[in-house]
Order: sequence, then C-alpha cells, then structure tokens
Amino acid sequence: MDKSLKIGLFIPCYVNAVYPEVGIATYKLLKYFGLNIDYPMNQTCCGQPMANAGFEDKGLATIKKFGEIFKDYDYVVGPSASCVAFVKENHPQILAAHGHACQTEGKIYDVCEFLHDIVKPDNLPGEFPHKVSVHNSCHGVRELNLSSASELNIPMYSKIKDLLSLKKGIEIEEPERVDECCGFGGMFAVEEEAVSCAMGRDKLQNHMNTGAEYITGADSSCLMHMQGIARRDKLPVKFIHAVEILASGL
Amino acid sequence: MNSKEQILNNIRQHNLEQYDMPVIELDAIQFPDKINQFIEVSKAVGGNAVLLKEGEDINQLIAELYPDAKTIASNVPDINSTMDPDSVNNPRELNGVNLGIVEGAFGVAENGTVWIPQHVKERALYFIADSLVILLDKESLVDTMHEAYKRQQFNDYGFGVFISGPSKTADIEQALVKGAHGAKEVTVILK
Amino acid sequence: MNKNHVTAAEAFLSNKEGAQWHNETLWGTRVKRDNLAKGIPEWEELRELASKIKMHSITHLDHYLLQFAEAAEKNGATVHWAKDDTEHNDIVLEILRKNNAEKVVKSKSMLTEECHLDDFLIENGIDVIESDLGERILQLLKQPPSHIVMPAIHLKRQIIGELFEEKLNTEKGNSDPTYLTGCMRENLRKEFLSAKVAMTGANFGVAETGDIVVCTNEGNADMGTSQADIHIVSMGIEKVIPNRESLGVFTRLLARSATGQPITSYTSHYCKPRKGGELHIILVDNGRSDILGNKDHLQTLKCIRCGACMNTCPVYRRSGGYSYSYFIPGPIGINLGMLNAPQVYYTNLPACTLCFSCNNVCPVKIDLGNQIYKWRQGLDAIGKANPAKKVLSGGMSFLFNHPGLFHSALKMAPIVNKIPRSLKYNKFNEWGIGRELPEFAPESFTSWWKKNVKR
Repeated sequence: MDKSLKIGLFIPCYVNAVYPEVGIATYKLLKYFGLNIDYPMNQTCCGQPMANAGFEDKGLATIKKFGEIFKDYDYVVGPSASCVAFVKENHPQILAAHGHACQTEGKIYDVCEFLHDIVKPDNLPGEFPHKVSVHNSCHGVRELNLSSASELNIPMYSKIKDLLSLKKGIEIEEPERVDECCGFGGMFAVEEEAVSCAMGRDKLQNHMNTGAEYITGADSSCLMHMQGIARRDKLPVKFIHAVEILASGL
Repeated sequence: MNSKEQILNNIRQHNLEQYDMPVIELDAIQFPDKINQFIEVSKAVGGNAVLLKEGEDINQLIAELYPDAKTIASNVPDINSTMDPDSVNNPRELNGVNLGIVEGAFGVAENGTVWIPQHVKERALYFIADSLVILLDKESLVDTMHEAYKRQQFNDYGFGVFISGPSKTADIEQALVKGAHGAKEVTVILK
Repeated sequence: MNKNHVTAAEAFLSNKEGAQWHNETLWGTRVKRDNLAKGIPEWEELRELASKIKMHSITHLDHYLLQFAEAAEKNGATVHWAKDDTEHNDIVLEILRKNNAEKVVKSKSMLTEECHLDDFLIENGIDVIESDLGERILQLLKQPPSHIVMPAIHLKRQIIGELFEEKLNTEKGNSDPTYLTGCMRENLRKEFLSAKVAMTGANFGVAETGDIVVCTNEGNADMGTSQADIHIVSMGIEKVIPNRESLGVFTRLLARSATGQPITSYTSHYCKPRKGGELHIILVDNGRSDILGNKDHLQTLKCIRCGACMNTCPVYRRSGGYSYSYFIPGPIGINLGMLNAPQVYYTNLPACTLCFSCNNVCPVKIDLGNQIYKWRQGLDAIGKANPAKKVLSGGMSFLFNHPGLFHSALKMAPIVNKIPRSLKYNKFNEWGIGRELPEFAPESFTSWWKKNVKR
C-alpha cells in the first residue's frame, strides 16, 4: 500500500462522545503501520440516525458537509461498519437526488475492512490473551461484506476473525445465530423498546454461551446496546471494539 | 370497457423498463448414484422407496409391504388388485380404498418426487387411498427439476402431479403428522 | 381499529414462554432452509434466475396474461378477469349460484384472504369449508392467519384440542397432534366427498401452456378438486410465468425457502377441466397493475408468497403475525400494506431494524429492507411521521450542522453521567426501561486529538 496516501479519520458522532478510546485505538494502529493520517475536526455525523428514522432530508446538510470535509483525502477510514455502510450505500443516491455528486465514493472504508483489504498486515504487536466472541453486526455483514452472511450459500470468510487471529494469545469464538441482529437499529432501540431489548437479551445470551470474556465487533452501536443490557442485568461480560483489540499494547 | 380491457390497459399505461428473459442454463447438481439419492431423500421426506430385486415378484413385494390392505385399486396390467379404479361412476366410490397402485412416468433424485400424469379415469385415486404404491422405472430418474420439466412425457396432459412422500402437515405446533388428507404412506417401487 | 405494532409487540412479548417458543420454532425453519440451500451449490444462481424470470414476467405482464388466457381457454378452462376484490367475489358467487351450490371447499389462498371472500360468501348463505388444517382451525376459532405458510403457528395444541372437543366431539383432554389431525382428516373427508365446488389458489400460472400449479403438503387442494365438478382458481395476475421451464427454477426454490423441505408432497398441475366438470380461473388485479408504476416498490410483484422473510425476521419472530395490522405480516407484509393503504398501515413501519436478512433469504431477491427504508422517507410527506422522531431528527440535524455547538455538547455531555438516577430513568426515557444508559466519556475524541495530536 502506498503509505503517502492521505487518510481522513472518520469518527462517528457517538464514538466521539461515548467511545473515544475506539477512535484513539484506530489512530494509533494506523500510525503504527506508518500511514499518513489526519482528523478533520469539523466533522460531526454521517446522517444515518436521521435517515433510518425516515428523515433523509433532515440529514442532507450533514451529508453534504461530510463530502466536503473529506473530499481531499485519498481514503476515509472510520471505526464503525454501520456508519461507513450508510455513507457508502446511501450518500450517493441521497446526494444525487438533490443534484450533488458524492465526494466519498469509492474511498470510504470501515477500519477492519481497510486493514484487511488495503493494509494487509501479517502480524500485530502486543498480545490479547482472552477469549472473545465476535459480534457480526448486520450492516457490517450484509452491506460491507465483512463476513459471509449466514443466509447465503457462498464460501465462508470473516475479515474480523482473520485480523483478530493475528493477535498473540487470543481465543476467538462466535455465537450461535452468528449474524442475527442484536436489536439496536438506531431509533428502533427506543421506538420498539420491548422488541429491541428482547433481541438484545437473546443476542447477549448467545455470546455469553461461548464462555467469552469479551464481546467484540466492528460496531460500537451494537456493543453499546448490549452493554446497556449487560449492565442492567449485572452480567460480568466485557465489551471492546475489534480495533481496540488489534491496537492493544500500542 | 370490460374488466379484461381495463386491467390490460392499466398494465400497458406504465412506461416500464423492460427486463429480458434469462437463459435458464446452469451447472445444476448431479448425483453419481441417482437411485441411492432418490431412496435416501424419499426416506428423509417420510416416504419410502425400494428397489425391486432381480427376479423378485412385484406382486409378492407389494403384498409383503401392505399385508393388511383389503381393497386394492389398480389399472396397471399384471398387478394384483381387488378393484379396477376405472370402473367407478364417480370419484366418491374410491373412498375406502386401502391401497392404490399407480404408475409414475419418472422420478427426481434431488427431492424424491415422482411425476404422475393422470393414467386413471378419476385422479382422486392418487389422493384418496390410505396408502399409495407408485411403480417407477429406475432408469427414468433425473437429477433435478430442470430435467424434469424438460422431459418429453411432460408435453400433453389434462392433469398431472408430482408426488413426494405421504400427505403431511405440521400445523399443530410444528409436530409432523403424516396423512393429513392424502395417503398416509407412499412407497415407490423402483423396477 | 388500527393496530400499533409497538404496543402489540410489547403485549406479545409479555407471554415470555409463548414468545420464546415462537421465536425458536420459526428460527428452526430458517435453519432448515439454510441446510437445504447449502446442499445446492447453485443456490445463489437459482435465486438470481428466479429474480430475472419474475422481472421479465412482470414487465411483460399484458403479453403473458393474454397468452395464459388463450392457452387455458384452449384447454377448456373458463378465464375470468376481476379488476378488484369485489369483482372477484361476485364472480365466485355467480359460479356457485349458476351451479346451485350452497357449499364450497377451499384450499389455502392468501388472495382470497385479501378479498375477504369467506365472509362475503357466508353473508350470501354459502357454507365455506377451509380444508388446510391450519386454516380450518383458525376458521373454527374465528381468527385470522398469523403467518402465510404456517397460519396457526401461534396456537398451542391444548387450545386446538379443546376446540376439536367442542366442534368435532374428540376425546376430552387429548391434544396429541396425530390424533387431532386424524380426526380432522375424517371430518373433512366427508366435506370433500359432498362438495360440488372446490376452490384453490395458484402458486404459478404458466402462460405457454395454461397450467395452474398448486403446491401443498396436505393434498387438500387435490382432495377437493378431484371430487368436485367445479374447480375455481383464484390467481393474482403477478403469478403468471412464461413457460414450464421456469417451473424448474421455482419448484427448486419454493419449498426449500418456505418450510425447509426439498419439495412439497404435492405439486399439482391443473391443465384441463375434469371430464364432465368445469375449470374456472379468475385473474385478479386488485391494485397489482398500479404497483407496476411504482419504480421503488415494483419488486414486490416478484413475491411467490413463501414466508421465508418472516422466518428470518428477528422482529417478526419476536412479535408474531398479530402484531402487524396488515393481513400479511413480516417484511413483505410491511411493504404490501404500504402499497395497499399507506395511511392505514404505516404503523407497521417501525417493525424493522434494517438488518437486511430478509433480502438474503428471499428466493426471488426482493429488496425488502431497502423498500422499508424508502417507505420511511415518504412518511412525513403523507403526514404520518412519528412526531417524536421528527423532533429528534430535527434536533440532531441542527446540532450536527454546527460543529462548534457539537463540540460544546461533547464537552458538556459527561455532566449527564452525574444526573441522579431518578431523573435519568423515568417514563420519558424509553432507552432506560430495559437498559442502562451509555456513559459519556470524560474526554471526547475531539478533545483528545486537540490535546495530543493537533499541531
């Protein structure tokens, strides 16, 4: 990979506010690989929460801004499969409907995707001697192809597992119903609260049945939802974003 | 304007992007041993398929499989039966048939189904009998439904049915029960 | 009465045991589907072909309907055209009257549900006997189906046992499925043998040859039609396919997707009327031709009514068919309901996390999840947007368009962590009913960057 290429860090709104350590790990890891990284500070959000709730138009200004902020970078990389998928799948047609071009087309990546497909490391520093259960979030699987969707008859693969397996000492598990939705779904989590929590509790139980100490994945939103339930139910399982595992020890 | 014209006009008024018919050509699954596959799948779907052994008498085999059958209906030549199903005046008269013995045209290995173009006066026989024996030429098996629909025997029929195993339902708590309305047992004899 | 999915789902989930059984049983069907799909190396190719055949058929619908009608009429069938549900029902009644029939035996047809045929016929003095076991149970209970393929999935055997005790005089306290099914077999056989008219739906109508193809596991469609002199077929116009060769693709996909079996017990091909009998085929539009003009939602016409989307949908599995206000539930039901009457059925739109599992199991590759997303965008324009979500979105939009304000909010957010529990967790906090709130980090990423990296 050409290390002079400019990478713009995309730190989703809730990662910024609630899980900054995920952003920090992303930065440290990409820096470790000698990459040219910048964080344009006037970014805020990708527009997904508004759009999934049915208000694409309310997200339009944010979406346009997003393109302007990142237009001069060669890559846009962010630690959130869901947000990146939204930018990739939805920004082009939302912008086109209002007569704008999409400035991030072809260059936006989730950090796991970026590491696996572009950076292609063959080893990682440090160690993570723990058992983890991989949470395959819906948008990561079915929009970004981070792993093979369980519904499809295609060869099995998992970019997250491939990366995690480079970490010394790690034990990797996956839950039953390997890519069933955890029930976050953005505003679904509050609008359909009962179903959301039922889904979250089921998912959490499937993860815990693996005996893992940590639940990990590419989406802090899913982790945040399950963590909320785990804390309420006083369950000991811990949560960590995949990039934090990859960057541990740095 | 009658309804037919209204419907057709309503369809035609849309300026639709036209999509072409695809060529249906694919490398469909092939079974090295179609007979074995057919027998395995028949079992799996709750049916039964047996291979007539060299020199075995088919009537004897049927008698062994269904020793308790009293009313046996068949119009297949050289098959023992107690009644000719084509002799009835109406299909209701076939109620009470314990065993119907019918001929299949060909079978499909991927799903254990047999194509039966109507060869009897009343098609009710295929459904009303308590049990059904389907006679099938073992060389007639094809791998998949693609070949099934290509077969020459398929061309002209008033009624035909693919039968795969017995009648079944799982409508009560997903508990599988055989013999909901049609045959409780189906045996394909591959000869 | 307009059912609200949110509250109905909550009620469904309050029966923990029932909800768990429902979820696990339907997931089990999804797993059966997966196992069979993975046994066919060319599975994804089949889905692609099926999608293409359907897109071709629906974009040449007038041509194929005419070809179908001509072939069917040449076979001796009578083809009727019904522009809507009322006309369909009138045609059925007319055929019954003409033949002095006071009873009709029916096999399962979601189209006749759509047309409310049963109620109409009963009002007109016709005895209607549903013959599919699940549908018959629901008819006797006076309940609608909760799944399009497994209509009585929500019922426990005890309820059915008690029903049969009352209506069929079965043994008291016996709720064994084999026993109960056997009793219904006997009971319905009497009806089959005495019915002059039998009705079926149609899984496929073959344009080239005029075949009507009906797939059942029970054999009830055939029990009825092989006895009755008159066979009436109700077929939605979108069910027409070009030729028999196409059936090779669809018959390999349908049962595997619907119930996780390689094929249904019976795949019946009705071509010509029974000797001395009549075959009536009613082609029903009822809004389908209008859908052709809706580019965003055209693909719903590909649907072969297999129910796979329901089996995989994590929300349907945990809320049940009765939580949806349209008669067809789950992902396809949300979309069909909006096409039917958006002002009425918009209350089903929240029932989706946009996980896209439905897209992946659909044998004809309908973009179900994407369409739900699109319907949501259109809600505000028809005045049905959730006001709370609208305000929230507006607020977020404002915040995100002012980076300075956003950064201030980030700085102040950690204060929220310290707010007393009683103020944070109350009826205004939906998130907090079942979960703990996330904690805002003492230092946001932006602050960290400013402090540690920015030159």
